[in-house]
Amino acid sequence: MPNLLEELPRKIVATLNLPDIDPGEIDPDEQLVGGRLGIDSIDVLEMVMLIEKDYGVIIDSKELGAKVFTSLRTLAEHIQRQSGELTN
Amino acid sequence: MSTVPVCIAGMGLICAAGDESERVFGTLAAGRSALAPPHHFHPRVTPHLPVGEVAQATPPGDLPRTHWLARSAAKQAMSGAAAGPDAIVLGVTTGGMARTEGLLAAGVTDPVAYARHAVGSVAQDLVAQTGCRGPVLTISTACSSGAVALHLAAQLIRHGLCQRVLAGGVDSLCRLTYYGFKSLQLIDPAGARPLCAERGGMSVAEGAGLLLLDDSPPRPESVALLGGGLSCDAYHGAKPHPEGLGAAAAMRAALNEAGLRLDQIDYVNLHGTGTPDNDRAEAQALHRLAPTGDLPPLSSIKGAVGHSLAAAGAIEAVIAALVVHQQHLPPNTGCSDPDPELAISIDPSPRSRPIQRVLSNSFGFGGNNAALVIGRPIASASVPPADMPCFTIRGYAALSGSGGSEATLKALLAGAPVGGRADLAKISAGLPAGLVRRLKRLPRMALALTQACGCGPDGAPPGAVYLGTGWGALSETNDFLNRLFESEERFPSPMDFIGSVHNAAAGQVALWTGATGENLTTTCPYAAFEQALMSAHLLQQNGSSLVLMGVDEAHPQLRPKLDPDAVAGAPPAEGGGALRLEAGAGQEAPYLRLLGLDYCRHGATLLERDLSERDLSERDLSERDLSERDLSERDLLARLARTHALASASQRYGLVLAGLPASCRALAERQLRVWRAATGFDGPLIDYRRHTGDFATAAALAAVWAAAMVDPQRRDPSVVGDPFPKAILILGLGAVVSAMEVVPMAEVP
Repeated sequence: MPNLLEELPRKIVATLNLPDIDPGEIDPDEQLVGGRLGIDSIDVLEMVMLIEKDYGVIIDSKELGAKVFTSLRTLAEHIQRQSGELTN
Repeated sequence: MSTVPVCIAGMGLICAAGDESERVFGTLAAGRSALAPPHHFHPRVTPHLPVGEVAQATPPGDLPRTHWLARSAAKQAMSGAAAGPDAIVLGVTTGGMARTEGLLAAGVTDPVAYARHAVGSVAQDLVAQTGCRGPVLTISTACSSGAVALHLAAQLIRHGLCQRVLAGGVDSLCRLTYYGFKSLQLIDPAGARPLCAERGGMSVAEGAGLLLLDDSPPRPESVALLGGGLSCDAYHGAKPHPEGLGAAAAMRAALNEAGLRLDQIDYVNLHGTGTPDNDRAEAQALHRLAPTGDLPPLSSIKGAVGHSLAAAGAIEAVIAALVVHQQHLPPNTGCSDPDPELAISIDPSPRSRPIQRVLSNSFGFGGNNAALVIGRPIASASVPPADMPCFTIRGYAALSGSGGSEATLKALLAGAPVGGRADLAKISAGLPAGLVRRLKRLPRMALALTQACGCGPDGAPPGAVYLGTGWGALSETNDFLNRLFESEERFPSPMDFIGSVHNAAAGQVALWTGATGENLTTTCPYAAFEQALMSAHLLQQNGSSLVLMGVDEAHPQLRPKLDPDAVAGAPPAEGGGALRLEAGAGQEAPYLRLLGLDYCRHGATLLERDLSERDLSERDLSERDLSERDLSERDLLARLARTHALASASQRYGLVLAGLPASCRALAERQLRVWRAATGFDGPLIDYRRHTGDFATAAALAAVWAAAMVDPQRRDPSVVGDPFPKAILILGLGAVVSAMEVVPMAEVP
């Protein structure tokens, strides 16, 4: 989990090419989409691909996406939960 | 009052529901869905999604599927015609992509294999099929392309430029669109269910719809194009305006042109893709036009045949005409439980009157909206369109491998060549980082040009946007396909897909500047900029403001495979030019206008033959072409005469900028000799591609160069003395012959 909270913001900032955002400064609980970071619905879809590619976790509905992408923490928890289930 | 009706003289249709109009209409009327997993192409990721696929396989040979579909519809549409069309206007987004994907995945580098890749090559192919000898336009405005093409074609006839125009749209299924829409989570795994409460997206499809339009006087039993309207949401790259503002504006414009109100429409053929956002926005737009809440009967056919992208608007125009002929409304197949939120009824209500007029909607990525009104001609008086305007030049900008506008123009005015690849960081330097973070090369160039010509948000934002591009966003296309192949088709990039459509750059310009008027992207390997200018002449009203640009990128991997000029050895060059224009010519500033745009029939296949007959050098082949084919001097003169650049050229023009593309240089040189001999023009002449570099939209850079030469306000007189005092003629030669003029301020037409 601590690892995910560290590597997710790096991957997200790089993938979405977010200007002037320091990955280390994103609060794990701040609003991920539609807030200060400038992340929108298209970015969410790009993140869906990233999460599936790097963690094997599929997020295939907008309803699920809205929950999972609330914050870095909800995203990390979802990945951990799902990949845990996969490995188990 | 209404605009002049333009009669439908022939129709051609091929889609998932059949390969001929009556059969398709029968399938639709029966409420059958033709959506099924793909059969002719094989996505690696399973389960396969349902698509609207044409049943027949592409005949063996080199012809890409899109071209084959277009030929099939063209043959039907032209079957009763005594002569070929005067012009072709085709909406296309995929071109030869279905074939190109396979070639790229297999690592094929031989350019011969890619000769029919270009989106513009489908219309070129129809030239040879139909014997068309006039202008050939390709419109690439995503899912509204087919409807936009028909609207432009009608304008060509209304303005008296053509008597018969073959127009419509075509697209074939390919991995780019199948996986692209999948990555956007816009595909319903159960098949499209337009207007359904449970709808989960669209079904990607293929097909072609073509109409032969002509100038015959309408009779009561005719079915005609009565009006068309275009708009741009300027809201989002891939989502419609949530309240349907742009859609309503396009419908309103189409109804106005037809001289009708919504309550005089007997059936609305919805865009109705089945995506939650589209259907909601379209319903809102309709309610906006009908405040009383009474909507005409309506349905979407996309639950039956899917969404065939650029073909959809044209296929549905054919359906609209059949609805009027057969007095039968197609049901809204696929919807079992109408969405109450939309507040529209899809029950086939009993009709109290015959079906006379149909409104057909088409909306696309980039917020491109189009609406057409099709039906029986209206008895009331119709008004011919106002004369086509000239365009007063209010601003201009250039971009090239030599740098931004200032550096590029300084070099050109000093007689120095520009060329090579531009520095992406420099291009983007003046653009907001948040704006361009998802944009690669072409859209950044378009935005930089927009800003530099004074159309940015802090300048004078334009009402309309016209953009010509030979090859579109090659970086996004390349990156999308690479990632698709590398991930075994598992991880396509939604960002790259949205960016890969030809009209993405013009959509970004609208988004940034708030331009909600017409938004057109035209494409052709040689004259995309001239096509954009011609479209502006056909659609803009006096007093309207617009930005016109031509732009292309030199992609290191794709250019050598795709671009015939690169294949002919031209070094990489890219960039383009933009002009901030006002429709109408005044006394106080120079103006630009297109004099003519014509297609050389045998120029069309020059590349293909050049490449397939390797034993001959290009020069030999072109010269042989000239002697053996119909490019006799007389034909050539007739073609040039139609550019109106022939008469009194010596007196009128102080300078000629002539574009001789590397891929058809021998042909172009010959044309130029013929032109000089015919006009007696002995003034200065610049072989402009030697200065601008050889790329598809070099003509845009030439036009801006000419604008700078005649500009009385030019800030840097140190480069060249006084502004050039006489008109400048810009000739495009080779496979496409075009002529534009830039006229100094003293002269008014």
